[in-house]
Amino acid sequence: MILFCLKRMVQLILVIFLVSTLTFLLLRLAPGDPAYILLTAHDVPVSEDALTALQKELGLSESLGSQYIQWIKGVVTWQFGASYVSKEPVIEELLRRVPATLELAMSGLAVAVIITLIIGISTAIYANGWLDMTGRLMALLGSSIPSFWLGFLLIYFFSVQNGWLPSMGRGTLQHLILPATTLGLGMGTIYARLLRTSMLEMLNQPFIKAAKARGLSNRRILVFHVFKHAFLPVMTLLGTSFASMLGGSIIVESIFSWPGLGKYIVESINMRDYPVIQGYVIFTSFLFVSIHIVVDMIYALLDPRLRVH
Amino acid sequence: MKNSVQRKMLGFLVVFCSLILSLSGCAKDEEADTAAAVSEKKATLAFPWSPTSLDPHGNDSWEVMRSGTAETLVKLNEELEVTPWLAKEWTQENDKTWVFKLEENVRFHNGKTMDAASVKESLMRSLEKDTKVKDLLQVESMEVLSENELKIVTKQPNAALAAHLADPSTIIADVATIEEKNSYPALTGVFKFKQFTKDEDLIVERYEDYWGTQALLSEVTIKFIPDGNTRLMALQSGDVDAATDIPIDNISLLKKNETFDVLTAPSLRTHLLLFNMNSPLFKELNLRQVIDRSIPREDIILSIMMGQGTEAKSPFPEILPFGKGEREETKGSVEQLMEQSGWKKNPDAIWEKEGKAFEITLLTFPQRPELTVMAEAIQSELLAKGMKVNIRQVENIDEALINDEWDLSMYSMLTAHTGDPQYFLNIFYRSDSEANISHYASSHLDDMIDELNRTVDSTKRNQLALQIQEVINQDLPQSFIVHPKTVFGVRNNVKEFTPHPIEYYYIHSQIDVTK
Repeated sequence: MILFCLKRMVQLILVIFLVSTLTFLLLRLAPGDPAYILLTAHDVPVSEDALTALQKELGLSESLGSQYIQWIKGVVTWQFGASYVSKEPVIEELLRRVPATLELAMSGLAVAVIITLIIGISTAIYANGWLDMTGRLMALLGSSIPSFWLGFLLIYFFSVQNGWLPSMGRGTLQHLILPATTLGLGMGTIYARLLRTSMLEMLNQPFIKAAKARGLSNRRILVFHVFKHAFLPVMTLLGTSFASMLGGSIIVESIFSWPGLGKYIVESINMRDYPVIQGYVIFTSFLFVSIHIVVDMIYALLDPRLRVH
Repeated sequence: MKNSVQRKMLGFLVVFCSLILSLSGCAKDEEADTAAAVSEKKATLAFPWSPTSLDPHGNDSWEVMRSGTAETLVKLNEELEVTPWLAKEWTQENDKTWVFKLEENVRFHNGKTMDAASVKESLMRSLEKDTKVKDLLQVESMEVLSENELKIVTKQPNAALAAHLADPSTIIADVATIEEKNSYPALTGVFKFKQFTKDEDLIVERYEDYWGTQALLSEVTIKFIPDGNTRLMALQSGDVDAATDIPIDNISLLKKNETFDVLTAPSLRTHLLLFNMNSPLFKELNLRQVIDRSIPREDIILSIMMGQGTEAKSPFPEILPFGKGEREETKGSVEQLMEQSGWKKNPDAIWEKEGKAFEITLLTFPQRPELTVMAEAIQSELLAKGMKVNIRQVENIDEALINDEWDLSMYSMLTAHTGDPQYFLNIFYRSDSEANISHYASSHLDDMIDELNRTVDSTKRNQLALQIQEVINQDLPQSFIVHPKTVFGVRNNVKEFTPHPIEYYYIHSQIDVTK
């Protein structure tokens, strides 16, 4: 088991190294000079002297090789440098925005779970009825409506027309409702379909018949036998979606001016803030790889055969 | 039996949903109570720009200036003339020496008195933090003459020094407070920082010890909303009282609603078309003239800018005292000009010379989408006149202008952000400047710019600037298309939110809200 864990750790380091090297190179290949973008942010022209001075200050006038060595040295010692724009450490800049993104991701997930449960269970119970048809239609809409459109639609209806909820920003629970719904609605309706199918499959399993034969109540069967088993595959998918939401939901955060990672990273890309983009990529790849490793480890714990292979 | 289970499950779901809905109801009541307790007037504004810090020197100086908390030595009035602010008067002793007399009784937000020494310290920090300030001020040395007198000596004659001291990068601050972690920088503006939440909002409150007229509002909240549609919806839903930079497509929507006023301000921006004077075709003045007179400026203003712009006749908008009002009409039609240069129309009605058809590349970029639409309008107009234009969209226009082959390019600039032409002309037109992207070289113009740098008298400066524009319009290194207007949406209970052509003076002491 220890060997297994060590192996995975080495893999993690390797993946992060490759990802960071690739990001470093791709960023430098992309057009755009951070110093120039910074200096001309207000579209006032600048002189060559001013530009060269800033390039030197940001370390952009050094060769690509020495910039790369600097960066790798930094990564190894957990120093990701400072943002070109704010001059503050990248780690601080990213961590500052994690709570907002986490809040949105968790509530988005909650909305998705609630919708999955409500629609999934009710459509399974009333399979092929009108409720089921409505659920099917909602899943179709949920998967085909782009989130930027849904977001604006919700703002228009709930904020502009009726003034029930704030249109943007973060703060109270009310601020959370619209972005969380935008984030969770599409996902929820799709997973509801999955839960329905999975529940209906379970209903035909021999062990359900056996349970019925033993005289268990329908309610007990639905909750403890059917639902418990049917929810597992949905759970796995929800987990994966949550991991991707943690990286920041770029579109939803931008529409609702939500001060999270997604909105920040778009701004950083526009400004070509290399240290921030690199730090963000490392952060998210670390998040993804480690979540997968934890899942692998749990599987390995549960299934001894995996430890051998 | 089965039915009862179903009913119970559905019942559970209904209760669950109503619980969530009732929770959101509670939050609303609390908010209403706190709003009633405060009687002083407040306003909330939405800006697209978001500062990364409140450091008045460096990248965020414009955003800090926009918050109404900061002041510079001089200010530009609505006619864009230089007027006193923290400096009450100034004299120029010789070509390079200036003496600024400061306002007395000015206190920084931390209570400290502003004097010549603190102004010097603040300007020194500006010079150190922002490389652009060196070009603007060209300071050789600064000397404190008395408590309220500061002498500035420039490296070379810089007649625009006073105007350039209106640039937000020269905000006067108590330097000791800027780097402090636990407090906000102490500036001198009519409002002072109350609370700054990065990415979200900045709250500023009235500064009670302000040296001039006190602010009518007790507090202003500035929300940072980069997305134009979100900004508009925040205004419509009442989350904010005013929003700047409303997307022009949405103006009609706001105008329909009586609770909003749509205000426009002329901006100091110019959308233009660059000629590459190194390209084989546009070395020739005739061809530049052909393109210039083919630009459908009226259509562009009417249908692309939705009327929110004025026709550009020179790099500088007409609102400036030296903005040029008339375009010189070149003699001869497009046909005549082309024939003069030896071009003939081929059977496809395309101009041709020595067996080669007239075909040019026009660069455009996605950051200002209206420019791409303009490029298309110009393309179709030129095609109708027998000239083929290939539009190429590049991600980074400034890099493409240096590294790629191009004939024409769309471009957009703030040409006189301090109300003075000198900085822009030096950077954009001098033949030895790297930022002269049209590769335009005229020793005559260089001499005129040098003369402008030396000339102090404002009437003479304006005259000189007008003459320079005449030369530019004759040589035509660029075609000027339109000066766009800035559009604001304001609830009509907000008073005196007057749009200023200078885009960093939006918040001032006279803004008020009525019930």
